[in-house]
Amino acid sequence: MDSATSTHCPYCALQCAMTLTAHGAGVTVTGRAFPTNRGGLCKKGWTAAELLTSPDRILEPMMRRPDGSFAPASWAEALDLIAERLSGSRAEHGADSVGVFGGGGLTNEKAYQLGKFARVALGTSRIDYNGRFCMSSAAAAGNRAFGLDRGLPFRVEDLDAAGTILILGSNVAQTMPPFIGHLDGARAAGGLIVVDPRRSATARLTDDGAGLHVQPTPGSDLALLLGLTHIVITEKLVDVAYVADRTVGFDELRRSVGAWYPERVQAATGVPAWQLRQAARRLAAGHGTYILTGRGVEQHVDGTDTTTAAINLSLILGLVGTTHSGYGTLTGQGNGQGGREHGQKCDQLPGYRKITDPAARAHVAGVWGVSPESLPGVGLPAVQLLASMGVSGGIRCLLVHGANVVVSAPDAKQVRTGLEALDFLVVSDFFFSETAALADVVLPVTQWAEEDGTMTSLEGRVIRRRRAVTAPPGVRSELWILHELARRLHSPSTFSTDPAEVFDELCRASAGGLADYSGLSYDRLGAGDESDEPTYWPYPAGSTGTPRLFLDRFAHADGRARIHAVQNRATDAPAATGGILTLITGRLLEHYQSGAQTRRVPELANAQPEARLQLHPATAEQLGVVHGGWVNVTSARGIVRCRAEVTLDIRHDTVFLPFHFPGDQSANRLTGGATDPISGMPEFKTTTVRVRAVAEHAEPEEMRVYA
Amino acid sequence: MPDQFDADRSGHPGGAGPERFVLVGYGPVGARFADQLLPAVHAGLATLTVVGAESVDAYNRVLIADYAVGRTDRDALEVTDPLAARAAGVRILTGTSVTAINRSLRTVTLGTGEALPWDRLVLATGARANVPTLDGVTRVRHNLLSPPAEAAGLDSADAPLPRGVTALRDLDDAQTILAAVRSGARIVVLGAGVLGLEFALAAAQAGSETCVVYHGEIPMNRNLDRGGGTVLARRIRQAGVSMVKHARAESILFHDDGVPRFDALICADGKQIHGDLLVLSCGVGARTELASLAGLSVSTGVLVDASLRSWTDLGIYAIGDCAHVAPRPGPGASAAPPAGGPSGLIGPGWRQADWLAAQFRAELAGVTAGPPLPPEPDSVVMLKAEGVDVVAAGDTRPDLWDTDKADHAAGCGSGRVSVSQWADPEHGRYVKMVTRDGILNGFVSVGMPRTAAELTLLYQRGSELPMDRSLLLRFDGPDFEPSAGANAFASDATVCWCNGVTVGTITESIGGGQTTVACIGTATRAGTGCGGCTGRIAEVLERFAP
Repeated sequence: MDSATSTHCPYCALQCAMTLTAHGAGVTVTGRAFPTNRGGLCKKGWTAAELLTSPDRILEPMMRRPDGSFAPASWAEALDLIAERLSGSRAEHGADSVGVFGGGGLTNEKAYQLGKFARVALGTSRIDYNGRFCMSSAAAAGNRAFGLDRGLPFRVEDLDAAGTILILGSNVAQTMPPFIGHLDGARAAGGLIVVDPRRSATARLTDDGAGLHVQPTPGSDLALLLGLTHIVITEKLVDVAYVADRTVGFDELRRSVGAWYPERVQAATGVPAWQLRQAARRLAAGHGTYILTGRGVEQHVDGTDTTTAAINLSLILGLVGTTHSGYGTLTGQGNGQGGREHGQKCDQLPGYRKITDPAARAHVAGVWGVSPESLPGVGLPAVQLLASMGVSGGIRCLLVHGANVVVSAPDAKQVRTGLEALDFLVVSDFFFSETAALADVVLPVTQWAEEDGTMTSLEGRVIRRRRAVTAPPGVRSELWILHELARRLHSPSTFSTDPAEVFDELCRASAGGLADYSGLSYDRLGAGDESDEPTYWPYPAGSTGTPRLFLDRFAHADGRARIHAVQNRATDAPAATGGILTLITGRLLEHYQSGAQTRRVPELANAQPEARLQLHPATAEQLGVVHGGWVNVTSARGIVRCRAEVTLDIRHDTVFLPFHFPGDQSANRLTGGATDPISGMPEFKTTTVRVRAVAEHAEPEEMRVYA
Repeated sequence: MPDQFDADRSGHPGGAGPERFVLVGYGPVGARFADQLLPAVHAGLATLTVVGAESVDAYNRVLIADYAVGRTDRDALEVTDPLAARAAGVRILTGTSVTAINRSLRTVTLGTGEALPWDRLVLATGARANVPTLDGVTRVRHNLLSPPAEAAGLDSADAPLPRGVTALRDLDDAQTILAAVRSGARIVVLGAGVLGLEFALAAAQAGSETCVVYHGEIPMNRNLDRGGGTVLARRIRQAGVSMVKHARAESILFHDDGVPRFDALICADGKQIHGDLLVLSCGVGARTELASLAGLSVSTGVLVDASLRSWTDLGIYAIGDCAHVAPRPGPGASAAPPAGGPSGLIGPGWRQADWLAAQFRAELAGVTAGPPLPPEPDSVVMLKAEGVDVVAAGDTRPDLWDTDKADHAAGCGSGRVSVSQWADPEHGRYVKMVTRDGILNGFVSVGMPRTAAELTLLYQRGSELPMDRSLLLRFDGPDFEPSAGANAFASDATVCWCNGVTVGTITESIGGGQTTVACIGTATRAGTGCGGCTGRIAEVLERFAP
């Protein structure tokens, strides 16, 4: 008998609503009416259910044998071994010898439980997650400016009424396609402004009078934003009353951007002065104006400052905390918002609390039934956590949940070396991801359609993920795994296996925090299988939630937003000679993150089976590269070998690689490990590389290592 | 020859107490230096006294033309926070002149008579507007004079410019001009350098009748080749500014209603150019008289080495428009004046201020100093004017057909020079690219803003140009938008972005018997994302339906 279940897509943070119909052979996906996706889905969503029955799926725990191969094991065997190895490491090398790496795709319940498990059952401070690679700079900037970080502090559908939308460094047309329907109003008004070094699918939405594509050279976003701010100030376009009533710090900003006149910005960015003026004037022209940032401007060593510059521009235009305009950052991973609120971050406790705050520690320890003193302090952010693998005093054991760091972390080759140097690696996944392939124990876990839970979307809306089918018999939920491990580790607290119970505990733990969920419960989120209540946090007990934030005040004690003047760092872009170019990375429509899932969907894999290096025809001609021909791309960190895609859609000084592919097509073999000093976000978007045409069967210039 | 003082703690026996810094000059470069030194002041490692001749705190001179025509506010000119500096303990004296540097005593004498002791002295005295030789205007030979005790007379000495004649350098000048612009005055600008042209264009845009008078064939003749200059002059005329070339100004005709007031500029050929206000824009000269009188080596500016230290006195530094950076001559070096000179641009001045303050901070904190100040690349010159785009940099002289000569002039083995050029004078467009061994070595771009921006990046980075140079011209053409004019019904044109569905996929589906947008959606997923492409699907259907 068929049964229909209302849930949401497993992939990105737009969390499109879908209906899953289970029938004998499997599950059928259909789109479902919802304000963000309006019944539509992208290619990834439509094909999501194919992974439930993928032949690649791991269906029982796998343990590595002495000869290096994997053999199936019982859950009891696997969990006993893990508990033994972790407690052994803890006894011998201290609690901080065990690390935990989480993910922005985990449900709120899992993310919460993972943070609790690390602090209480393992007693380790060494927990962080892959969201450090995505959202940490935007989060740091939002917290600094507004006192609170909710990616979009307004509803996605509020964008429909905007006359002007500035998108900086985000290719939404490919990363969350149904989102672009919300740009139609601005496009009709000729007000979509897209900043991207590539003529991306999103940039193309500005064609035919729909707006403006601004194409700066990579790494110059901060100068660009300082320039726009300069124009707004010098041309007297500042919302003076708003700045006076709702912000502090404007004078410092005004002085700091005085030097960034349009012609100087032109020289730094490659964007002509007239285009800067046109963009600044359009932003100030009213009619509902939104400024949105994405990873393209955030994933830099100055990502926090660049995001801050975008926020400053929004503030002096009087956009934030109004009924008609705003600033937001486009969260990428499915639960990238909730994942950064409930304790997976090395410096946070549930409810977006600081782990260094004694009151926060006392509150959370109270909910967990442990003493505040027993909670560890601040750990290491992701890049540093991974860099500590195999290093004296670093982590010796690692648990990975919902992440594929061999592909997704910067300087991937070094990460692989670190993982290999660990005493013990446990990976929970559906598949033998490139990271799982290096593990000592791989634990098969449930997929989205097989579990209950909650996700918090890019607009801070808490939504229900509902179980549509029963998981294969050998597969377990991470909640169950954490419960079993905690029991074996004699944890002083309890770890429920029931998502609703975990959520209730999470809500209590978050009470009084910035991300306050205490008025929520599974009942409140929509009891039946049909409904989706519009529940936006903060949602303290007794409230009805907060669709638009900051309407009356910002989350700082005095209620005012902070304008924090930032300085442009000196850029030393390389001379483009002899094939030296700047590499940027990003996503393709067909794939999601490290591709561990989407590369296993035949329709998606067939459409984009491999990484291709995008480069401009003039650059290609210079280097003797032909469309479809092979190239070697080298950086100080490593080498990638792939085919070339010659296209006019990219600047002549820039090349692009998607980051979804493993092995010698892995873009993150090239990226470095430099991080933002405030957020710990790694630099992904400007890497100096040398591109060289090679023969198809040329020997790769380093050993190919496959697990 | 130069007396070598040991700058380290030279005035400070035993090295006790914070290092005493005196900064002479409080313009944008001086202010940047002061801001950057603040951490050392906060840390108690340094004290800082700033002496500025203008009666106000530092402001952004780059925007002075905008301010002079009323386009922006005084507030927008702020570049520093003097309150923060004062709160940190920096002593800032505005409206104060320095009349002497006493190198042996390690003091400076102020116009007030006060003597300020220093361990390090930083000169950021900037530059003053040149006053050309014109009958009716007194020229002051500053380098022969001690600076006056009255700061207000620093540049005019006892010979203020006549009424109706002004330079455009400081706030007072700007206010004089602003009043004239607001009253609808006719403005004559003498000199067609960057600043003169920027101001003339801004004044014309603000509604003033404006005329630029220059000698020679082309404006910006220091930066542009003949082609670029000719096209630029045409663009400026189109923007409503009269351009009077080959005009050698000789004297000024005055109205005389008690106090003489500017009436007309008279040229060597007898031409009279009437107006209400004459704005002199004939370049600037470094204020070096203090340094000269103190016996410091001076050329077109105070001579400093690559670390911005005076050639003569290792306790004295110079930055910005008053500094002439050149290698200190070795023994027996020729006595010829060193090449180069102050750039007159703000960017290099700011970089010097940042670097020097960082050096001091590192030294005082006892940590390793950063890398040396990189040599300033040849400046990129651009006009800050809306609607008239001109950018030039590097060596723009080589002629299209005459590159052998350029090769030879540059010396053997210095690389092959080649020139690519595009000229469309009728439409005000001109680009010239000069490469040496394929690397961009100089360029001029007029009326091609996007091209200019890209050439600037390539030039600054020392990059190779694409073999097909015309690529760089097409940035400003309609075909730059690759989608414009592209065939929307080409087989590989994407229709549905959400699902990556092309025209080809849809036509196949039509061939397979699908006859409605909904059926095509079911078969191909086109239109099943955001739904924004259903109109396009209908078009494809209509066109390809059997």
